[in-house]
Amino acid sequence: MSAAPGTPAVDPLEPTPFLVGRPGDRALTEELVATVLGPTRRGWLLLVAALGAGMAFWLVALGATLFVGIGTWGNNIPVAWGFGITTFVWWIGIGHAGTLISAILLLFQQRWRTSINRFAEAMTLFAVAMAGMYPILHLGRPWLFWWLMPYPSTTRLWPNFKSALPWDVFAISTYATVSFLFWFLGLIPDLATLRDAATTPRRRRIYGLLAFGWRGSARHWRHYRIGYLLLAGLATPLVVSVHTIVSFDFAISLLPGWHTTIFPPYFVAGAIFSGFAMVVTLIVPARRLLGLERVITIRHLDNMNKVILATGLMVSYGYVMEHFMAWYGGDPAEAFAFVNRWTGPYRHLWYLQLFCNVVTPQILWFPRMRRNLVVMFVVSLLVNLGMWLERFMIVVVSLSRDFLPSSWAMFRPTWVDWGLLFGSMATFGVLFLLFLRFLPVIPIAEVKELRREFDHEDRLVAGGPGHRPEGAP
Amino acid sequence: MRTWLVAEFAGEPELLAAARALRARGHADLDLHSGVPLHGAEEALGLRRSIVPRLALAGGLSGAVAGYLLQWWTVGVDFPINLGNRPPHSPPAFVPITFELGVLVAAGTIFLGLFALWGLPRLHHPVFEVEAFRSATIDGLWLSAGVEAEEADGVAAELERLGARRIERVPEEGEP
Repeated sequence: MSAAPGTPAVDPLEPTPFLVGRPGDRALTEELVATVLGPTRRGWLLLVAALGAGMAFWLVALGATLFVGIGTWGNNIPVAWGFGITTFVWWIGIGHAGTLISAILLLFQQRWRTSINRFAEAMTLFAVAMAGMYPILHLGRPWLFWWLMPYPSTTRLWPNFKSALPWDVFAISTYATVSFLFWFLGLIPDLATLRDAATTPRRRRIYGLLAFGWRGSARHWRHYRIGYLLLAGLATPLVVSVHTIVSFDFAISLLPGWHTTIFPPYFVAGAIFSGFAMVVTLIVPARRLLGLERVITIRHLDNMNKVILATGLMVSYGYVMEHFMAWYGGDPAEAFAFVNRWTGPYRHLWYLQLFCNVVTPQILWFPRMRRNLVVMFVVSLLVNLGMWLERFMIVVVSLSRDFLPSSWAMFRPTWVDWGLLFGSMATFGVLFLLFLRFLPVIPIAEVKELRREFDHEDRLVAGGPGHRPEGAP
Repeated sequence: MRTWLVAEFAGEPELLAAARALRARGHADLDLHSGVPLHGAEEALGLRRSIVPRLALAGGLSGAVAGYLLQWWTVGVDFPINLGNRPPHSPPAFVPITFELGVLVAAGTIFLGLFALWGLPRLHHPVFEVEAFRSATIDGLWLSAGVEAEEADGVAAELERLGARRIERVPEEGEP
């Protein structure tokens, strides 16, 4: 099985590389800054225009919410948390994959994170920005959102820190801030590279300002590396804490279907599941459009699909355990909440959710399917849909059938609800397209470091500087 | 008046050897510039361990302590309300915000601390006077040394002997 001494061994377990070929630093830089410094593509403009229309819809729905109030939403009593909180949890969950890829995989020294971490971090930022919108709008008077902060007011009242909702305020704002700092710290050396590779004075000036005077100094790199690692170390428990705290919003209440101790781990697994699906949804078209097949290889996608499969199984386990506890706990109201999922008025959505989250990922057991771009794209879309439905089942369906049958009511979304849901996706898309156009999508300095590591290994394996004889996937 | 010597090298071993040699001759104001962190640069420049971890620890602890005290004082002392029959001072309920504020302040300390240690943001630096220095963030390997004007000729000759491909001089005032 093992290669004879002196033969350049190609590991049979690593059939596809993380970096195709061994381009030099200049060639790599030129390739990676081309997405920013090259001409604007027509496809990009068309996509921005199409998503811009969706963003306009979002702005209209936002305007209706601000000028008329949340009476324009489908929320009622008992369903006081409708689409707003459903979509909030969905977006926050999507953000988690970005932090997982960039921070946790960095600490575990997983090399496949390198090419996709910037991409995933940007996704996190924009997803958290979209998520943060909903609880603030849901306040009813969003312009008074600062009442959530502890400040000495004339009423002498303070936020109730024994409730999960102020925990949420701190968790989300900390998460957004730390994600931004981590992302921007990673960008600084690449912004300096853009400044130095740019040819027009305007770009030099803009990227020069953003790079804050970075000059690649060894004295700076020394602090930079440890600072970056420490931020990753902080982001790792943070990301777990954020979705845990989001799940506390539900779990520490008494409502059947919410009041359960499995929520924190189940929410975190679901967050990673949906977030990785979103990364695949975005990366499959983007790598094609931007021509990044050399640095984002099929092996990256394969690994992400494995994570989707693993977390999908954890989510399925969560579903089983929720039902088991509802039965084993012996509380009739709790048992009814789960019977209601299977037989109640929203049962079709429940079946669709099971199909998307439990059945669909099973196709990823097959290596050929994990490497098929069309299959993985479809799977990722279905998982995104399924995870949104899961939050809908938790939020809306549990609320619509609480303890007292006389207060039961159905939730019917209005056009404003749909506008805020689809409009937020379009706005996210516009932000993401701007990122793809104006910032380095692939961390240039980190890919250069990765190439050095591979060079070093090649020398160890082959006894000389060599290129592994591997073609494109 | 001081002069900056900015020299480009062809390979990492030469660059690190040059830094070591100049440092052995007593030049302290040395720096290396590259697009990726270089292995051995700390040793070649004689840098001590970064203080960023200690800053982060101090920031994280003070954030967590401040977060706990904030909650204890506001809902435990200043305006206690009986909610769900939890005692005014409820340590378990204070855990999430204590943790979050610890992380927030630690991360902020790291970020701002890095800029303070770097001396950035800075709009200008003498090394940027050299047009070819643009390659430092792409594929170039550069050494910069701040020396007294009268020493400059000697150090430039030394750099040439150490294998510099190109040597540029920038007077401190910034006039090229």
